[in-house]
Amino acid sequence: MTRGGLWISGLAMAGIAGVYWLALLGTPTERWQGLSQKILYIHAPAAWAALLAFGLVGVASAAYLFLRDIRLDTFAEASAEVGLAFSAIMLTTGPLWGRPVWGSWWEWEPRLTLTLLLVLLFVGYRALRNALDFPEDRARYSAVVGVMALVLVPFVHLSVYLFRTIHPQPVLLKPSAPSMPWEMLRTLLTSIGAFTLLYIGFVTARYGIGRRRQQEAG
Amino acid sequence: MTSFLSAAWGVAAKDIRVELASRTAITTAAAFGVLTLVVLNFARDPTVVSLATIAPGALWVTAAFAGIVALNRSFSMELEQGGLDALLLAPVGRGAIYLGKYLANLAFVVVVDLIVLPVFVLFFNVAPTPALVGILGLLVLAAAGYVAVGTVLAAMTVRTRFAELMLPVLLLVFMVPPMLVGVQATTRLLGGRPMGEIVGWFWFLILYDVVFITLGLMLFPATVDE
Amino acid sequence: MNQEQATTGGYMVAAYLITAVILLGYFASLYRRGRR
Repeated sequence: MTRGGLWISGLAMAGIAGVYWLALLGTPTERWQGLSQKILYIHAPAAWAALLAFGLVGVASAAYLFLRDIRLDTFAEASAEVGLAFSAIMLTTGPLWGRPVWGSWWEWEPRLTLTLLLVLLFVGYRALRNALDFPEDRARYSAVVGVMALVLVPFVHLSVYLFRTIHPQPVLLKPSAPSMPWEMLRTLLTSIGAFTLLYIGFVTARYGIGRRRQQEAG
Repeated sequence: MTSFLSAAWGVAAKDIRVELASRTAITTAAAFGVLTLVVLNFARDPTVVSLATIAPGALWVTAAFAGIVALNRSFSMELEQGGLDALLLAPVGRGAIYLGKYLANLAFVVVVDLIVLPVFVLFFNVAPTPALVGILGLLVLAAAGYVAVGTVLAAMTVRTRFAELMLPVLLLVFMVPPMLVGVQATTRLLGGRPMGEIVGWFWFLILYDVVFITLGLMLFPATVDE
Repeated sequence: MNQEQATTGGYMVAAYLITAVILLGYFASLYRRGRR
């Protein structure tokens, strides 16, 4: 499983290298934001992958509490870690995009804030797992946190949205899908595909590692 | 249903009695709250930043931190006395145990808030208007939500190493939505805005409470499985 | 290329580089742990 995952990851990363080429050389530069806009082609797919990863942790956690199959816990552990990796990309590329375009490194807007809070929560999730010695306890407790995290997401989104609509905001330049020229949309979609494949590869590999660790311990 | 509620009340009453005997959780949390207010008052240049500007945030940060201290103490005392294990052996449903612990913890946090609020009014020169009733209501509603989450989390973190650090790390993220909403509503109340503008914020807190109390009831059994 | 373009270009390059480093780094971490 680990090896299969590594192969898929390698393939996906080659795909991302292709996306790099496509984004930098094969896609027109946006008029208003200039070169900064090109960060979209990695920032948005990374964000998507991170949220997918964290969402699946929530789903796997709920499933674990019903089915008590330890493999669901191993998957949740894997997906949480992979989610943190993609979040790291989102939270570093975000400010690098935001600074020239918004004039500020950071904005408390719904998506960035939600990702930041999820990162903090899942860092805590990992810490909780490391602080527990018995696999059964660890699986159960992690699953409880995972489910609560999933339920929290809409509340965070709503409250930050309410927070923002009251305060004057800088113009958030995000190209919306319908009005994006085909060349840009094509690059974006390709990148999303590559990042999704990379998520699958990473999580499979990490799952394999987790399974093996478990079997060695058990 | 009535046996469920009376079982829950039994659990809550026991916890409250224990706490009233020593009053450790409440006094520690209240002292911490007052100190936080003092520190926040000094964490500014008074010639540039007015008390009114930082007041809502100061109140809510203090309430949040003091709430965490109260929750931590409540559970660690439990662990020291082995109370939870005894309770689990008794013929009381897990859900009733959760509700009982939740109610006791909520009572502790509300008492702490009742101590913190007047001190806040004192330090931050808040006018004694009916708005304060609304603010107390916000504090109680927010507490009702995060204590629901905190009761579940504390039951787990208390069995880990670094328990007293683990609880805040996990709980603070869950506190963000109620706190964010609470601060916004408090600002408006202190600014004399009409209730019509503020009601929506109350509904948000109520929704949060209903969802997380229900979730807590469903998840708590998983934290005490053997 | 004017000053502003150079800055935004620089940030863009930084973003692409950091992403590559994070992805390659994580892949390497998985590879190392997978080998053991």
